[in-house]
Amino acid sequence: MTLRQAHAPGTPIQGVTLYSFTRAFHGREYDLEGLIRKVAAEGYGPGLEIIGFSSFRGFPEIDDRFAGEFRDLVAETDLVTTSLAVNADIGIHRDRLLDQDELIAYMTRQIEAAAKLGFPIARVQISIEPDSMERLAPIAEKHGVTLALEVHADQYASHPRILALRDRFEKVESPFLGFTMDWGATVSGFAPSLIEAYRRRGASEELLGKVVELWDEFYEAGPPADQGEHGQRFGRFIQLGAQNGRPDLGIDFGINGTGLFGPARVDDWLEIVPWIRHVHGKFFGIDESGEEPSVPVRDLIRLLVENGYSGAVSSEYEGWHWNHWQSPFEIIAAEQAVQRSAAQDAGSRMITDAAEARSVLANHLPHALLKETNA
Amino acid sequence: MIPDRIIEQGTLVVDGRRARVEVRIPWYRALPGSCIAGAGLTIDGVTAPTDSLRWRMNDAEYTFDELRTITDEWWFPTDSAVLSGDLQIDAHAEHEVRVDLTLYIPYIIISDTETLHIEEHDIKNMTAVAA
Repeated sequence: MTLRQAHAPGTPIQGVTLYSFTRAFHGREYDLEGLIRKVAAEGYGPGLEIIGFSSFRGFPEIDDRFAGEFRDLVAETDLVTTSLAVNADIGIHRDRLLDQDELIAYMTRQIEAAAKLGFPIARVQISIEPDSMERLAPIAEKHGVTLALEVHADQYASHPRILALRDRFEKVESPFLGFTMDWGATVSGFAPSLIEAYRRRGASEELLGKVVELWDEFYEAGPPADQGEHGQRFGRFIQLGAQNGRPDLGIDFGINGTGLFGPARVDDWLEIVPWIRHVHGKFFGIDESGEEPSVPVRDLIRLLVENGYSGAVSSEYEGWHWNHWQSPFEIIAAEQAVQRSAAQDAGSRMITDAAEARSVLANHLPHALLKETNA
Repeated sequence: MIPDRIIEQGTLVVDGRRARVEVRIPWYRALPGSCIAGAGLTIDGVTAPTDSLRWRMNDAEYTFDELRTITDEWWFPTDSAVLSGDLQIDAHAEHEVRVDLTLYIPYIIISDTETLHIEEHDIKNMTAVAA
């Protein structure tokens, strides 16, 4: 695959999001400090991404003492904070949605938390519309935090909602607005580890074959044009479960088949590649040959390298939802090996040294890191 | 998500005519009280009356109606909440415990007025202890 090469080859920064270890944290095998130390000791970094509402008790309230201890821990373990994943909880009140002023205030508190904890990027989500992103730009600038809106299945780079955001970013011309690329938008197959999980829940081989066949049909057709088509596809998965004696699995097929395994092609990312500030290296498993069987990791890394991307790639292992029989730690190490190999094949390399990562990230986000002590 | 961990094994307590059990969030991130929309507590096939249910987290106890407006107390992913209700069961005996949970996911908006909710349940067998 040859994609547009308009820049010197990029050198993406290796990293991980603690979301990958959700079951270990939720299961109290590791507390936050223990998990950060494990990430450092086993070389999943240097990039470190954290979800605020998952890992920080009381978030978005962060007191000075905690912020200081957290920064000390990151420094001691020689990791590099990349992105704080924040949430637009528009539905936090049961009886109504937040209005725009309330949403801006809600997001501002989280942007302040990102600055205080030393994250140069805040990952935001699709529910924030172009007008709100424009209003948030000066707030992001004030705190030195770049807002990277996540492009996640069932959306994709050329989806009308994403293009509307891109066009607004272009108009606003703020370096503090951009995208987080989530590889789940450009998946190439229904994850075999999830098929195995359904098998363990008693699904027949015939039904599993039909699930794969249906997803492949959608892949051939390309991503859904709009939310209506997305809903129709969701319904087809529900029908499949109902028609094959497993109505209990239908919604699960639909959630994963449409919301985790997006069927856009890798080069769809070219629509927004200049605005990509952060990457979620979403993946679901590693096969016997050491490759990711359903996410085109090698093509995605090549695209990033060829387009001069030198930001962070947070390995985001999502197989933990269903894969209870394998350690996530080994699987993530194997996926990062694929990324490193792919970067070399593309004529570059992944950055794994922390000092080099800081320098590369400073060049990637020069507007933000000028305010390094922005608490 | 993580429905297999909703009920904490070995936490069933009998306290007079009430029973309680510790529960874990089946989701990866903290949710505020307002997003804990409902629960069911069923022991040996008998379901506690809805109006008798109470939810304890962060050292405070709430009815589910009270939780509707709680947006500044959060159910953290590593914390146990306590679900209790009117159920008369024997201490020191084995029981089948079922907990149903309805949670709103406040950042996933599925229409102009509607927020995604998820319904999860867990069933575990355990021996009750007296309070």
